[in-house]
Amino acid sequence: MVGSTPLCTQLKGLSPGQIGLCQRYTDHMPSVGRGAQIGIHECQFQFQSRRWNCSIIEGDSSVFGPVLERASREAAFTHAISAAGVLHSVSRSCKDGELNSCGCSRARRPKDLARDWIWGGCGDNIEYGYKFAEVFVNIREKDKNHPRHSKELARMLMNLHNNHAGLRAVYNYAMVSCKCHGVSGSCSLRTCWQSLPNFREVGLRLKDKYDGAVEVKFNKRGTKLKRKNRKFNKPGKEDLMYLESSPDYCNANPETGSLGTVARECNRSSAGTDGCNLLCCGRGYNTFKRKVVERCHCKFKWCCYVECKTCEKIVDVHTCK
Amino acid sequence: MTGVVLENLSWKKLSFLGICLLLLQLAFFLIGGLVAPAPSNVVTVIGTKCYDRGSVLHRNRWFIPRGRNACESLDSLDSSDAKIVDESITEKQVVFSFWIPGPRDGAERQMHPIFQSMLGVLDLDIEFDPANPVGREPTLQLDIRMGVRNKDDREDDWKLLAESVEDRTLQCALPAHDKAKGAYYNCELLQLFELGSVHHHFYLVNIRLPVNFVKGYNVGIGKVIDLTIHTIHQNGGFSYVWFSMKSAMFPMVLLVLVWFWRRITQLDRPANLLERTLFSLGIAMSILNLPLEWFSLSFNTPFMVLLNDIRQGGFYAMLLSFWIIFAGEHILDTVERNRLNLYWKHLSAVVFGCICLFIFEMCERGIQLKNPFFSIWVSAVGTKLALAFLILAGIAACCYFFFLCYMIFCVFRTIGTKRASLASMTSLRKSYYMGLIYRFKFLMILTLICAALTVVFFILSQFSEGYWKWADNEQRLEYSSAFFTGVYGMWNVYVFGLLSLYAPSHKTVVEIDAGDGSSEETVQLTDLPVTPTEASALQSFVSKAAQD
Repeated sequence: MVGSTPLCTQLKGLSPGQIGLCQRYTDHMPSVGRGAQIGIHECQFQFQSRRWNCSIIEGDSSVFGPVLERASREAAFTHAISAAGVLHSVSRSCKDGELNSCGCSRARRPKDLARDWIWGGCGDNIEYGYKFAEVFVNIREKDKNHPRHSKELARMLMNLHNNHAGLRAVYNYAMVSCKCHGVSGSCSLRTCWQSLPNFREVGLRLKDKYDGAVEVKFNKRGTKLKRKNRKFNKPGKEDLMYLESSPDYCNANPETGSLGTVARECNRSSAGTDGCNLLCCGRGYNTFKRKVVERCHCKFKWCCYVECKTCEKIVDVHTCK
Repeated sequence: MTGVVLENLSWKKLSFLGICLLLLQLAFFLIGGLVAPAPSNVVTVIGTKCYDRGSVLHRNRWFIPRGRNACESLDSLDSSDAKIVDESITEKQVVFSFWIPGPRDGAERQMHPIFQSMLGVLDLDIEFDPANPVGREPTLQLDIRMGVRNKDDREDDWKLLAESVEDRTLQCALPAHDKAKGAYYNCELLQLFELGSVHHHFYLVNIRLPVNFVKGYNVGIGKVIDLTIHTIHQNGGFSYVWFSMKSAMFPMVLLVLVWFWRRITQLDRPANLLERTLFSLGIAMSILNLPLEWFSLSFNTPFMVLLNDIRQGGFYAMLLSFWIIFAGEHILDTVERNRLNLYWKHLSAVVFGCICLFIFEMCERGIQLKNPFFSIWVSAVGTKLALAFLILAGIAACCYFFFLCYMIFCVFRTIGTKRASLASMTSLRKSYYMGLIYRFKFLMILTLICAALTVVFFILSQFSEGYWKWADNEQRLEYSSAFFTGVYGMWNVYVFGLLSLYAPSHKTVVEIDAGDGSSEETVQLTDLPVTPTEASALQSFVSKAAQD
């Protein structure tokens, strides 16, 4: 594809390298967009009861706002889940046949065979998704060269690592299904294929990694990151790493990008992170009654239109002061 | 009794033949491992959710996922989706539509007759909703229509291939760690269809899941998000390699078979049982080798899979019978053998096992010729019936191996007693017995090697199946293809070797009349005299065998 596609320059938040990729792979962009969407959606599900709830800022080119300028755990998680979302979505589009370049296996086929897929079938969708997502999310980091010991280099290394961790959270957990179809259906011939893991599982896995993320710093030469505290395990390839500790996200702070927890709904009876005590940072909460209209007595089928009655009930709602 | 080629062949010639056959075997393995791609390929197609608009259902209309006549598709089946709510779309109006194969590289791909057969597996994505969970093993009723079209046909001209209403039992479980709304069930894959030929370019599958609260169909199957079909077909590359192999082996084995039979007709006695059995084995091998599959490229041959299974079954049955008869004919006692009815017990085990497998095969693949969506395993009665036949076949196989082991034991026992008395025999009678012993041991070792190789290949191929690799581009052995070509080639080489080595030799014709088993031996040397060098070769041969 020659010439710039206007779509790519209008899209906010793409780095110059990503704009280049966007122009080459225009057909991949809707799928990349969907990938980012499911990433954000899953992030919000996983963090719905935390002080930082993965809120996005409308109109901001970096989506999550200034909160990600700090090299915190939260930044690590969002990078990982976005990369995972892109991989997930591109692989699915590849399977759907939406993409032009997601090709068939070219390995070892005779040169004169016109339609290569007849020889050995097509390549694996997930592998293609991995390769594309890897290039797409990492090119953003690799746009510039940074000197040793610089803050930018540290951030770049952290992002690259977390991107990979996100990709691996999908790729390494692809489900392998097999079917026997030999003589009389015996297992003398068995064919296996990979399917994408559910994105919810990916989110759960990354949330675990978020909780166990490792704080890192430069090594002596200033070229690589290593764990800050030797008591903790070395960060593996699937683990998340961060450079700076997180703010407490209790109060709005334009510097850290924290939105604060004022007016967030909380659960009075919970002792967990969604409990009013923790979520409101000890500031207390307001209680009021709200009328909720619900659908009830439904007759469910496996899909579609459901016949229900509507019921009203009044619930207590607590919000942080 | 005549000697066979094996005994009269010089070491030089024998090792030359052996090395040739070994190289041939290696070639088979490498062709499968290096030239052929994996034996089969998976095409995954996600169903398009089509909307059958209107108050009357259009049961005879084709719903096509894409192209100019694409159906009106629904993005989501969620009950809160705007379109679903606005038009009160019910589950009866939803048709899952699959166009096989899916597009790739921005173009429609086509199926090809070289794919031989196609197997479809259904995968359900069911979301967990606490208000609408999946019940315990609910019955899924699929209303399926399958259409075909060729690339030169009009774009909406799909022809009906099969239609059926099929019941399947749904088995789903929630992942243990995730019971929140929005989690996905892990559901067992369901067999959808099996086609014995892939004669058309495009296949279209339309599936409806109508709910029947009275009969309990499609009730309690949770919240279905997506349907996916994984179709498995043989790879074209593998088919080409496979057909070429068969085409190459067919004339080779046929040639040696004709030569073998000519040797026998040149004898001045009728062929004995062992020779007739070996000849039948050669015929069974040739029938299996006959590259009928080439016809499937120009004609629609849905019976080909069934036919191939039967041909293969026939060959293995013949091979098992051959081993029994070979062992039986080498028991060195005084019983007059050379009659087939002596082996009725052993052979009936083989025949019984084969009949069981044949009935099972006809129930599965035979009925699939009529209804590709049928599978004996999906119904409880069918599963019991299938298992009954398979267990009976297994029992027959056990009986067979018991008989075979007992026979081999008998052979070794009589060999032991004959060895002890060898010294007191005349040299010609001695060489006759030693020849028998040598022949038997040779085949025994050859067979054991072949069986061991089959097992090793099988394990290797199973091992590599579950193993997923990163880079697909680098050269590596395709183990499962190598298994198929290797094992197939091996039995060809085996039969080839047997036919050429166990053919009657016309170098020496030695007749020993030992009918009454007395010490009186009348030995006649007929027309072809033994030249001194050949006789010494024979001697060294025999003494070598005796040392073993």
